[in-house]
Amino acid sequence: MHNLLASTFLLWQESVTGRMWQGFQHPDLTKFLIIGAVLLTVGVAGVLTRRNIIIIFMSIELILNAANLNFIVFSRYLQDAGNANAVAGQVFTVFIIVVAAAEAAIGLGIVIALYRNRETIFVDKIDLLKW
Amino acid sequence: MILSGWESFFFWVFAFSAVIAALLTVMASNAVHSALFLISTLVSVAALFVLLGAEFIAGVQVLVYVGGVMVLFLFVIMLVNVGTEERGGGEELYNRPAQVGASLFFCVLLFVGLISAVNLSSAHFRAQPTTPGQSIEQMSAEQALVRETEQGMVASATGTSKISSDTERVGASLYRYGGLPFEIASVLLLVAIVGSVLLARTAKQEAAADDLAPETRAELSGDEALGIK
Repeated sequence: MHNLLASTFLLWQESVTGRMWQGFQHPDLTKFLIIGAVLLTVGVAGVLTRRNIIIIFMSIELILNAANLNFIVFSRYLQDAGNANAVAGQVFTVFIIVVAAAEAAIGLGIVIALYRNRETIFVDKIDLLKW
Repeated sequence: MILSGWESFFFWVFAFSAVIAALLTVMASNAVHSALFLISTLVSVAALFVLLGAEFIAGVQVLVYVGGVMVLFLFVIMLVNVGTEERGGGEELYNRPAQVGASLFFCVLLFVGLISAVNLSSAHFRAQPTTPGQSIEQMSAEQALVRETEQGMVASATGTSKISSDTERVGASLYRYGGLPFEIASVLLLVAIVGSVLLARTAKQEAAADDLAPETRAELSGDEALGIK
């Protein structure tokens, strides 16, 4: 909490001295990380609030994409720092995309099977195992 | 890496379009609209990948996500959502209000935590000078732009232009360090194909596939057991 207050105060001080405008004109890797954080939060909100199971799947794709963005950012950071195997983050991203594709295929197959049996795609109607 | 000039302009354009389309994905009432907004988010994130110098991943993102996964999503929405629309659209979009409130509170906490973590580590990203002894403020915008784009690029075969070597490096790294995970990923995709075919077929298709017990098949081919859609 103290750190948060301090960083907020520092941000305000920066904006007073015009450093914020500098950050707006020259975005650095931190801005990409903030975009990733926003995408992840929106995805989590979608998973927790929506009833339609297909939209929940799409929110999961958003979360995975935020993770991909973070991996690419850190890969770029390592490239700038001159690391030997700096594209490892991009390789990891390829595997995340593969797993996301497999997950979407299996999950949508389950959705179709569920819709045939229960005639609903709303997650709060699927409560057969709920006691 | 610090962007400048047109790169920073495109960064803000694609960042805002990604965030706004992500919000609309979660809030859209129609699932088809939701899928289309998700496509626009994915394309914007692919553009951010290009700005970060990961052209190969951007291409894979557009081809696999937008061309493959999202088409699958749209097919399933078409198969499943028609019935719910016809039954009268008075259905609630969201969970109960208390649940939604608690979830949003959790999301706000999550976001504040993530932002403070980014703030704590931001000094590392900002303090890194691109060349020793010369900071970004001392360079003119054009110089910085040219230097950033020249970085990590090699001359093409004809020598008239420069091309990115990102794909080459990703491929080399994939086969040098990630051979076993690559094979495991291929087996995973095979299992996913077989599993989704098994999960999604109808009872009639199962009966036709000749892998049912004879009594079950007799029961299915009886009077109205095929009433399952």
